[in-house]
Order: sequence, then structure tokens, then C-alpha cells
Amino acid sequence: MKTPKWNKQMLFAPYLYISPYFILFFVFSLYPILYSFYISLTDWNGSGEKVIIGFDNYIQLFGDKTFWLSLWNSSLIFLMYVPLMLFLGLIFASILNSNWMVGKGFFRMALFVPNFVSVVAVSFVFILLLNTQDGLVNSILRNIGLIDSPIPWLESPWWARISVAMMVLYRWLGYNMLLLLTGLQNISKDLYEAAYVDGATKLKSFFYITIPLVKKMLLFCTVLSTIGTFSLFTEPFILTQGGPLNSTMTPVLMLYIESFQNFNFGYASSIAVCFFILMMAISLLQMRIFDDKE
Amino acid sequence: MKRKSLLYVLITCLMVSLLATACSSDNKQNASTAPANGDEKVKLVVWIWETAKDGLDLNMEAFNAKYPNIEVEFQTMKSTDLYSKYLITSNTGDTVPDIITVESTNLSQIVKIDSLLDITSRVEPYKDKMSAYKWEDATKDDKVYAMPWDSGPVVMFYRNDLFAQAGLPTDPDEVAQKIQTWDDYYEAAKLIKEKTGAMMYGDSKTNSSNRMFESMMWQRGLWYFDDEGNVAIDSPEIKESADFLIKMQNEGLVFDARANSDQWGNGIRDGKIATVVGGSWHDAIIENQYSPADKGKWSVAMMPKWSKDDKYTGANQGGANLAINKKSKHPEEAWNFIEFMLGSEDSQVKMMAEAGLFPAMLVNNDASLDEKSAYFNDQAIRKVYSQSLANTYPLAYTSDFPMANKLMTDVWAKVFLNHVSSEKALQEMADELRSKTKRN
Repeated sequence: MKTPKWNKQMLFAPYLYISPYFILFFVFSLYPILYSFYISLTDWNGSGEKVIIGFDNYIQLFGDKTFWLSLWNSSLIFLMYVPLMLFLGLIFASILNSNWMVGKGFFRMALFVPNFVSVVAVSFVFILLLNTQDGLVNSILRNIGLIDSPIPWLESPWWARISVAMMVLYRWLGYNMLLLLTGLQNISKDLYEAAYVDGATKLKSFFYITIPLVKKMLLFCTVLSTIGTFSLFTEPFILTQGGPLNSTMTPVLMLYIESFQNFNFGYASSIAVCFFILMMAISLLQMRIFDDKE
Repeated sequence: MKRKSLLYVLITCLMVSLLATACSSDNKQNASTAPANGDEKVKLVVWIWETAKDGLDLNMEAFNAKYPNIEVEFQTMKSTDLYSKYLITSNTGDTVPDIITVESTNLSQIVKIDSLLDITSRVEPYKDKMSAYKWEDATKDDKVYAMPWDSGPVVMFYRNDLFAQAGLPTDPDEVAQKIQTWDDYYEAAKLIKEKTGAMMYGDSKTNSSNRMFESMMWQRGLWYFDDEGNVAIDSPEIKESADFLIKMQNEGLVFDARANSDQWGNGIRDGKIATVVGGSWHDAIIENQYSPADKGKWSVAMMPKWSKDDKYTGANQGGANLAINKKSKHPEEAWNFIEFMLGSEDSQVKMMAEAGLFPAMLVNNDASLDEKSAYFNDQAIRKVYSQSLANTYPLAYTSDFPMANKLMTDVWAKVFLNHVSSEKALQEMADELRSKTKRN
């Protein structure tokens, strides 16, 4: 009994229903991406004439030491906090998942709070804490006799990277812990009981049951953290302005400085395009690894 | 089937374009409200930051009385946000804001994006009334795009109690006599360190704002770029100034904190810093923000110069301007506002006396210059400012200043962290600046 009109509707309707996403995607994602690719081929100060200069921006970018340094910095910061964060996250998640723990709701919230407190506010608090001359951290370390001279938390390249990494750790530990907690809660209790019956210690069941079964979740957390680390912006922007000696410069911070401080929008767009391609490659690579584990 | 899917693509495109046009026509309608009819009220939107607005507020009553049909709405934001927001505005051709506030440090950059109204003929009567250097950054191809507001004539604020303890003179005239050159300043620094333990000034080794260094360049007519716009940071004269500051740091005469940071302010509060060589606006910062308890302990003298024979002694630090959006619907009214606020000596003097905005306008014969400041040991501090301003080298910040300033910070970090020679660090900066700005 299908009329031609009904047929037409059948054809149209699904597309109509999914169209809102695509319209938004075209307007707010695809068009800007294509447009920034176009800008990356020009010399443009943000207003006025765009002069097409071909791939000059890319040639300049690949020869720009700061850009390579920004990628190197991101990798270092990633190595400084991600393993530690996943390790601590897993431990906290296991504790919160155990039967004997009291006040689970409170601790879950307490660990998660840093994630939704304004980053800018937290950054300013960190500046006060890490102040070399009279910051709280140095005062405490000095008073308990761990250090003689103050640690230049934000003034030397390595300490600055560590400070940024610690702040990111503080912010994202709770979030990753929650993800791992959901992973843990999916593990059937039967497995632990069986192991117990077979005489396995708590530690053994942690290494042979818990870790293998949350591996997928750990990988997922790593993927998120990779993208998060390379696009770090607010923390280094407020804590160190990318310094000293560009040691906390990240690709996104560099993009911001080139565009909104130096008004080199063409050059900034070439950073954006390279960053996009790089992130896509890393994500694909990680998804491949992710798939193999299934 | 193929044709059908093509159809859907077309439909999607149509919807996108509909959406886009719907948005843009909305914008236009919003913007074109309130036409300027004879007796209808005209509303001006002014983008500004808080401290600058405090100055204009002092004159708003008088302005409203004179121009009852102009209503002014201030929208306050951080200066750096203001510039990036204005950049977007100029891209979309918005008619709002009508007026923007721009610091001299960023003015040339903003002028370059070609979205400010040419006010060359309007500012003609004020050309000679303002400090000459202010026009440099406001001008592009002989056209003027902004009206100067205030200046930051650089002077030396000093702790007279620390000077006394070190056996140095404390009277401003005697201090000016004793510390004439930077070498004298260095000798005084050693004395003060030895006798009081205090440092001479505050500056960071790895995250310097370069303010001190820039003032030292400015007073000698040196800059990151020369008169032709070529990169000049690798010149031997600039290396001299840089080496002087490196010597100060290496001999432990400097409080290690970025100027105007909280850490630096704490040093001021605790009496660990003996001098601040900086723009006149530091008076309010020292008095109200960092050291309110030290009434009578601070005095003001001219900053030291490089050599006794130098013609200019003063430098400038900061200062703002007002400019009109090219797309503004009410350029006449906007100019009325700017002229009233910045072109009249009455308004400027009021902002100087009550908001601490030292005018770019040369007001020499006013009683308010002689007014004594209770905090600064009953000294007529504005007298020193005006003397500094009159002796300021006419120099421009230039459009690539923000980038050059950032690269300069790295020069110090290279010298102090990596023990690179100043010559090599400056040379590397010059090379990078040349390749990035495509200058010679």
C-alpha cells in the first residue's frame, strides 16, 4: 500500500532527522577547517588584504625551532604526568571500588572537584604557591629542611615543565580515576572470588585480574591525555607564558601567540593545519593499537 | 539513486546558506538601529579597561552637560582581550564599538589592520600640543589614526630611607646630581647592597618584562628597530646597555622577580627594593597597591642617563590613545567625545590630578603640576614627570613591538640559564626577528 508520496517521505525523513548535526558540523567545523587551510596559504594580518603566498608558511614552520620545541615539550610533559596519573588513578579507583572503604561518595567528589574548578583561577593559585621567593611550596620545603636554596619552579626550563605537568595532573587525576572506576565496576566479582578460592593474594589478583581487564580503559585514557597534552593552553599561558626559553610552549599556545599577539594569521593557520594532521595521525595510530587488543 | 543523493547534498547546502544568511541579516539589523537624527539620542560604545575608564568617568558629568544628546556606554575588558576582540570586529565590519582605547605599545599593530578612522585633519590643532613621540605610532603613510591620551614618562622612584642608610643623598635634586649616569647608579647599587642588604631594582632573569632595558634604549634613541624599520637589536650600542644590566644581575644587585608581578610587589612592600625606574604610573601602584604603609619613604628623581652628554634623558613606558572605528555610524559624535576628553586641558588635568593619568598633552603652567604629594615625602612629583616628558626621545614602539619584546625576554634567559654570551644571544634574536618580520 505504499504510495509514491510515502516513498518520498521514507527517503527524505532519515536525512532530515540527522541534518541538524551535519548542518552544525558544516558551519562550525568543516567550513572553519577548510577556511583555515586557505588562510594558511596566505600572508594575512587578521584584517585587510590576504596575499596568497603558497606554501611559504609551511616552509617557514618546518624550519621554526620553536614549533619543533613545542612538540618536544608536549611529549615531555606527557611523559611526566600521564604514567603517574594513570597509576595513581588506578590505585584510587581500586580503593574506592573496594568493599571496606567508607565515605566513597565524598572522596570521589573530592578527587573530581579540581576538574570543574575554573582553570584560570587554579592557575593563579598555582602561581602563588610556586612563587620562588616566598611561595608556600618553597617555604614548606625549606622549613622541613629538604632544600637549601629555593627551587625556581617557574623560572627554569625543567622545573617549569614539571610545574605545568603537576598542574595538569592535579586537574585530570579525578577525571581519569572516574573513567577507570567505571572500568573496574564492569569487572565481575566472580573472578575475584574464584581467584580467592584458588589461593591468590590481593596483590596477585590486582595484577592478574584488574590490570588486564581495565587495559582497554587505560588505553582510552591515554588517547584522551595525548590530545589533551598537545592542546594544552591555559596552564602554560597563565603560569609561564610558554617560557622560560619556550620550554613550556605548546602548539596551541604558539598558535595563539602567532595569531592574536603577533597578528600573523597565515602562519598561525599553518600551525593549526599541521596540528590537525598530527593529532589525526596520532589518534588513528592509537585507535589501531586499541583495536588490536580486542 | 545517484541523482537523489546529489539532491540531498544540494538541499543541505541550501539549508546551510539559509542559516548563514539568516544570521548575517540579523546582525545588520542590530547594528543599524538608532540613526542619528537631530534631536534623537546617539549612543556611543567605548571599549576600555577599568583603570582608564576611571579617568574618563571624572569628566563624564561635564561631557553630558555639554553634549546632552550623546549617550556613552563603556564596555570594560582587559587590554589584550580588547585588541583581539577588535580584530574580529574589524573583520566582520561591525559598527560597534565606536571608540576603542589602545596602548601605545600595541597602537602601531592595530593601525596596520586598517580599520581605524583617519582623523588627520581633526587632530591638526593638537599636533604641537602633545608630546611628539605619541604621534609616531598613531601615524601610517602620513595619516593619523589615534588621539594621544596619557604618557608614562620614566623616572626613578627611590627609597630615601635606604639611600640615607647607605650614606647617599636623599633630596631629589641632590640625588639627581649624585646619580647622573648608569655608572653612578651601579656604584650606588653596590653601596646600598653593602649597607642595607637591599637590591637596587627588581627584574627577572628568565622572565623579564624588559621594561628597564627598553627605557635605557629609548632614552638613547635606540630600539629593536632603527628609523628605517630595520632590525637593530644587534647594534653595539644596544649590547652596551644589555651588558650593563647583565653586570647588575651577575653582581647580585637585582631582586629576581618580573617587574610588576606580585613577587616584585612583595619585594617593594618588604623594603628589599631600593629603586623603581619606571613610568610615572608606578606612583599609584607603589602608594596604593604594594606599599601603602611606607608614606614619606619614597621620592622621585630623573632616571639616570647613559652618558653625561646625552641630549635626551627621559623615556616613555606605556600610555594609551583613543581611536575611532572606521565603520562607526557616529564618527562626528565619537570625535566630539575624544576631543572633549583628550583635547581639553581641563579634562586632561583632572585625569592627571585625580586618576594618576599623566597627560601626553604638554601642560606646563598648571598649578596641579606643583601640587605636593603627601605620600612621596611632600614632593611635587608631577614636576619631575613633566621634566622627563619634555626630555623624552621621540621614538615609536613600532608594529612588531609585542613580538620583539617577547624575544628579548628569551635573550636574558639564554644569557643567565644557558650562559650564552650577550653578543650571541642578541645576534640570534636579530636573526629570528628578521626572518619572522621580513625586515632587513
